Amino acid sequence: MVEHVLEVNDLQTHFYSDAGVVRAVDGVSFSIKKGETLGIVGESGSGKSVTSLSIMRLLRDTPGKIAGGEIVYNGRNLVEAKESEMRKIRGNEIAMIFQEPMTSLNPVFKIGRQIEEAILLHTKCTKQQARERAIEMLTAVGISRPDKVVDSFPHQLSGGMRQRVMIAMAMSCDPQLLIADEPTTALDVTIQAQILELMKKLTVDFETSILLITHDLGVVAEMCDRVVVMYAGRAVEESDVYTIFENPKHPYTQGLLASTLTLGEKVERLQSIPGNVPIPSKMPEGCKFAPRCPHAMERCWAEEPTYDAYSENHHVRCFLYEEEAK
Amino acid sequence: MSEVLVRVENIKKHFAGTRKFFSREREIVKAVDGLTFDIIQGETLSLVGESGCGKSTTGRVLLKLLEPTEGSIHFDDQEITHLNENELRPYRKEMQMVFQDPYASLNPRMKVKEIIEEPLIVHGIDAATRKKRVNELLETVGLNTYHGNRYPHEFSGGQRQRIGIARALAVNPRLIIADEPVSALDVSIQAQILNLLKDLQEEYELTYLFISHDLSVVEHVSDRVAVMYLGKIVELGSKTQIFENPLHPYTKALLSAVPIANPRLKRERIVLKGDIPNPANPPSGCAFHTRCPFATERCKVEEPKYESYGDQHFAACHFVEELA
Repeated sequence: MVEHVLEVNDLQTHFYSDAGVVRAVDGVSFSIKKGETLGIVGESGSGKSVTSLSIMRLLRDTPGKIAGGEIVYNGRNLVEAKESEMRKIRGNEIAMIFQEPMTSLNPVFKIGRQIEEAILLHTKCTKQQARERAIEMLTAVGISRPDKVVDSFPHQLSGGMRQRVMIAMAMSCDPQLLIADEPTTALDVTIQAQILELMKKLTVDFETSILLITHDLGVVAEMCDRVVVMYAGRAVEESDVYTIFENPKHPYTQGLLASTLTLGEKVERLQSIPGNVPIPSKMPEGCKFAPRCPHAMERCWAEEPTYDAYSENHHVRCFLYEEEAK
Repeated sequence: MSEVLVRVENIKKHFAGTRKFFSREREIVKAVDGLTFDIIQGETLSLVGESGCGKSTTGRVLLKLLEPTEGSIHFDDQEITHLNENELRPYRKEMQMVFQDPYASLNPRMKVKEIIEEPLIVHGIDAATRKKRVNELLETVGLNTYHGNRYPHEFSGGQRQRIGIARALAVNPRLIIADEPVSALDVSIQAQILNLLKDLQEEYELTYLFISHDLSVVEHVSDRVAVMYLGKIVELGSKTQIFENPLHPYTKALLSAVPIANPRLKRERIVLKGDIPNPANPPSGCAFHTRCPFATERCKVEEPKYESYGDQHFAACHFVEELA
């Protein structure tokens, strides 16, 4: 039996507003093994960021609530965990890095102090030791002159360096799981390449599992062992990275891959998925992808397909594969 | 010989920055620092580069939305560098722009039909023709005529970009400058807009200056590509030359940095060290020497010439031949 660091089962996160309930995440299941990198891909509004916020239980200040399902971390269901327990886990066992390195650092505190905060909170050590650890982490993420950088303010650093600082902060307590929400989207390609190399090195050195949330299929192909594809709040397909890219089953995954441009690949005309991502207030009845799907049958409009195992290692939410799945 | 539509010679755009400490002098940001290129009728020329390389400034200078500090711009053999607003108006009709952010570039208080109609009013077209033209344009870009009565907030990002394109097409321009037109869109929508731009180019014989940081998009749309770094073109050539036989080490690094959607591909990657230098204080000699894996002493002091390496392929590097 393989040990899973994290297991998410049929997660439901709903947002309650005056205009009604928005089911931002509505049926997402996956699991992450030790040392594995799992990618969640999907377009804007697919619920991938809300999934990560739900795992960290960071929805307290929003109208969002986890309405169902479970998030099992090392045998504990985080959905039922108390806030005080969560505080021990956050930043210590599960750490997170965000898309915007500009806004996720506090502009009025020095870099060192921000890294030390997590270390002092979660480990028994003196201020001096925490500072040494901060410098050590800055060195580990490839920052030159770390002894200078600890005493700098965020605005004195470039975007790439800030993202390195974020990673140093996240890794400072040796987390078992790192959640990275679009970690390179705001960066230039040459800087993105640096950060991706760094994250790869860290998974090997520290045996950290990574949950990587991105919309970029290139980044997924490069970084992930397994991939979950999300559409309109649901997981629609999951498999290992090779199967997803070479033998995708769900029409949405197929469409997404066909519309992605790849360097060095000559196509006369790009394939596109017609229409738009449905907006929450106008969710289709049955399968959420039916209005854009080239294979939509009458049944797809009325009934929602279940998320079935197509093979041991491959889950699909589509009626086309129902027979084979059984 | 194919006809040159736009000829840009040695244009520079310098911005005065903040005043230096205890000094009257202002820091000067050389956003664009001596660009020379032609845009040929009917082609798509792309400007690629990372943030701060001056690609958007170049687009704005060409449209005369910004006054160039130096250099000249010829449109259709007419010099337009020093024309005033009135004299420029006929040329404004020939060149239009599509912007990056479809949320910020449409006036939220105007109906879609008014947005598209506005350039037609400016250029003095009568009401009946305008109405007909607006409906035509909506259909050309794949929207319905009833969409004209709605407001921008009722549309998704992709649809808004279609509205922006319709507005640009309204006055029958010959040149469209598209500044990151698909960067804000999801992949499946991005493909729709790129296909639309391609169809329109064929139908109306448009010339595009396509500004982008995304090399896979650039490879798909371009005929020729100019790679920029810190306000200068470091390499210019046909799409095949740039993507299959890049000469400049920056172009090579940029190409190798793009993640490719193929998990089986294992590549030797050139990872550049360090960050993009501050354009207010660019490095001496070759501006790329601080990050270049092949930099020598010579690169630190002597700026490389921008030279032809055969068949309209230009690059600015001392060691093109040695690195080939």
